[in-house]
Amino acid sequence: MGQIVDVNDLSRSFGGKIALDGVSFRATAGQVYGLVGANGAGKTTLLKHLLGLLRAATGSVRVFGLDPVRDPVGVLSRIGYLSEERELPEWMRIDELMAYTRAFHPTWDASYARELIETFGLDPSKKVKELSKGMRAQAGLVAVCAHRPELLILDEPSSGLDAVVRRDILDAIVRTVVDDGRTVIFSSHLLEEVERMSDHVTMLHGGRVTLSGALDDVRHSYQRSRVRFVQHFDQPPVLESALAMEGGGRTWSVVHSGSLEQFHHSVLALGGEVVESRDATLEEIFLARAGRSRQPVEAA
Amino acid sequence: MNLRSPSVAMLWELWRVTRAEIAWKLALPVGAGLTALALAATFGPAGNPKAYEDVNDLAAALALILIVIPHWPGWMSMAWLTGGQPGFSLRLSYTRPVRTAWLVGLPMAYLTAVSAGIYLVSAMVLRMASGYAFPLLPVAGWMAALTVVFIAAAWSTRNMAIQVVVGIVAIVRALGLSINRLTAVELPDTFDWPPRLWPTLFDWPRTDYVWIALIGLVAFAVTVAGVTRQRRGDALVTRFWTLGGGLWDRLVGLFGLPCPTSSATRAQLWFDLKSRGVPVLTIGVVLASVIVLVSAVSGPIDAAWNADPNVACPIQECFWVRSFPPMVTPIMLVTILFLGVNAFGIRRKQGRTYVSAFEATNAHGTAQLAVLKILAQSVCVLAAFSAIGVGVWISMPLLGDGLFIQMWGVPLNSRRSVITNAFAALTGYEQLALTIVAAAGVVMAVAAFAVFGALRARYSRRASVASVLLVLYGLAFVWLAVAVRMDPATAARLHLDVVYGVMRWLATAAMVITIVYVVWNGFAEHVLTIRYASGAVAISAAFGAAWLTVLHITGVQLAGMSAMNAIWTVSPALLPLTVSVLAPWSYSRIRHT
Repeated sequence: MGQIVDVNDLSRSFGGKIALDGVSFRATAGQVYGLVGANGAGKTTLLKHLLGLLRAATGSVRVFGLDPVRDPVGVLSRIGYLSEERELPEWMRIDELMAYTRAFHPTWDASYARELIETFGLDPSKKVKELSKGMRAQAGLVAVCAHRPELLILDEPSSGLDAVVRRDILDAIVRTVVDDGRTVIFSSHLLEEVERMSDHVTMLHGGRVTLSGALDDVRHSYQRSRVRFVQHFDQPPVLESALAMEGGGRTWSVVHSGSLEQFHHSVLALGGEVVESRDATLEEIFLARAGRSRQPVEAA
Repeated sequence: MNLRSPSVAMLWELWRVTRAEIAWKLALPVGAGLTALALAATFGPAGNPKAYEDVNDLAAALALILIVIPHWPGWMSMAWLTGGQPGFSLRLSYTRPVRTAWLVGLPMAYLTAVSAGIYLVSAMVLRMASGYAFPLLPVAGWMAALTVVFIAAAWSTRNMAIQVVVGIVAIVRALGLSINRLTAVELPDTFDWPPRLWPTLFDWPRTDYVWIALIGLVAFAVTVAGVTRQRRGDALVTRFWTLGGGLWDRLVGLFGLPCPTSSATRAQLWFDLKSRGVPVLTIGVVLASVIVLVSAVSGPIDAAWNADPNVACPIQECFWVRSFPPMVTPIMLVTILFLGVNAFGIRRKQGRTYVSAFEATNAHGTAQLAVLKILAQSVCVLAAFSAIGVGVWISMPLLGDGLFIQMWGVPLNSRRSVITNAFAALTGYEQLALTIVAAAGVVMAVAAFAVFGALRARYSRRASVASVLLVLYGLAFVWLAVAVRMDPATAARLHLDVVYGVMRWLATAAMVITIVYVVWNGFAEHVLTIRYASGAVAISAAFGAAWLTVLHITGVQLAGMSAMNAIWTVSPALLPLTVSVLAPWSYSRIRHT
């Protein structure tokens, strides 16, 4: 599979705040990459570097083997980008928006654009300023998808879209892109969506990549186990490879990584037993990695 | 930071928003006023006490005007909060648990007090420096009243037409009041309000303060009522003039030109012309038509208003419609230039300046994109200027000569033939050179504003400081140039001619260093290409040839000049090269931040 994106040791700060800190990220053709992270984790900053909207302070960014700042034409002509703010010229009509975008992309597929416009129920004669937030997102989505870009970058694509559009149409668009052997990179804070759509997931926290890999591998390498101890614990007991613990007293729910066998041994050593184990969901992994579920809660 | 109450938090917010404007409103006028006073004191004809006093009086009057003028445009930093959209500037505060009267009253009081305070500090500094009795409270009071009226007009309604009308009425009324009071007694051989009379002339009646208080109260009440309606969402939303909607939007949609899809360059040109260029051109054509129409009807109106349409009564006592077209033409040209300054389409919202990702992510080279934007905008500004020029040209026979000979001692209409003859006397090449220089001047002005806008968006503080320094440098430069020319002996005695020479070298060297740095940096970053740079050099060479021809037409001979003078005279030829390398470089700063 061809390498589409190659980000190496990328760092960037704004004023005194570090937005990206030594981030490395790679994307190959025909895959969907989901970027997850809390607000301010650096997702949009990373995407803007791929588009050349931000210069790399240190490290390097290559898209299709090119530097997007030095060769914007070579990179941007092969990319479709939907920004989080859905910035479109207010004065343009939807048909003008399509014509304008078409001029930049010889690969424009007019019938696909028409099909998407009809699917979304957009009126081509309407001006952008007359559209609701969701309709703007839909119009933007048509404009970035209809030239069948080799790389589709979507920044919080679900923002403003209703559940039906999000689940059926967005998923279908992304699948179409990937089935054609092209690549999608999208950021989202909806973990269920990332889990549903992505082949790969990259988790950012405080400007650093805390987790990156194929979604199935990630899920298999994290488990959520319910453990019961003979002894009563006021504070979470120290268990090997545990990332987050919830509960209290004798019963605790633990998100952990690494070998299940080692975890069993660790629990046994404290006089406990593993009642049940399953693969952790992405949300559980995210919360564990982001360090937000350390507070003891009422025992289940 | 511990902001102990909503009021303290609001005041802190207002301070953060306005502090830069406060700084320049204080620094620039005081600096310019002090310069005027210092130059008059230094270069005034010391041998003639009466003339010396007159020159210094004039400089003091100019300094007074200089510290008043910056308050007239109102508070720009507040207007920028909403990107120039009319209505209450602090609309993000609607969700705060603060009553509307307080939400409006506190900022209003702050801005009014700061306006009056800036004037008072400026006047006191000039007082201490010069010894002249610069008026304090009377002018500060009316300044506060004017500020409060401007704020009320800007905040109480979202209808720009009402705002413009109220602003014009307030300024005309304030001007009328000032002129009426300051020129009540006509003095022989000098202007009517010399500084020695200021204590008397500015000793305005106590009732003024009652009027000022009343204006403040009414303005406050009107603003609270207007903002209350806006806050609950039922205000009339008539966006007449904003760049996002209203009139501008109507102008954008006026011509239904279809977007060409055959090439990216054509589509981009369509985008820039439609979104920014054509509205400017349309406004230019409308203004030109207004000039022609007013000129056409001015004769009959003047005849109806006055017994004799020509010179039947003194200028001050008659109302002449014919005087308006030539007087408003410069304002129209400045307006067109002002509307055309944002060639790069930089947006401003809530203190953030940025270029839209939609435009920045188009598959275009940065240099190509920057040049396209500047050319599209320049062509439209140039066309608008031409339309106004043609309008004035057509109107001149309709206006006649009589009134203008009486007003300015200039037979305006008869000058047409002088201009025509002078232009006809030139060779074809000279006419072409003159046209090139004029057109390039407009393009360079548009490009310079675009470059400054981009650098200000990217390096806000540094660009602001640099621009203030440049303005101060320019002021000092102009004053030195005037001083050296008017009184070379005194200038030589104070070594000002040396300072002036050094400043000229510095300006030329700065231009050359800027070109070298930007070209080097532009090539390193792949913003500039050999092809682009060659084009820029070729255009600059063409301009240089045209510039030399224009110098020749105006009788400037380089042969007998000193090296410095010759280089300085030819140096404008470098301007096209400077802006043509700066434009893509500065655009790349905002496209790739």
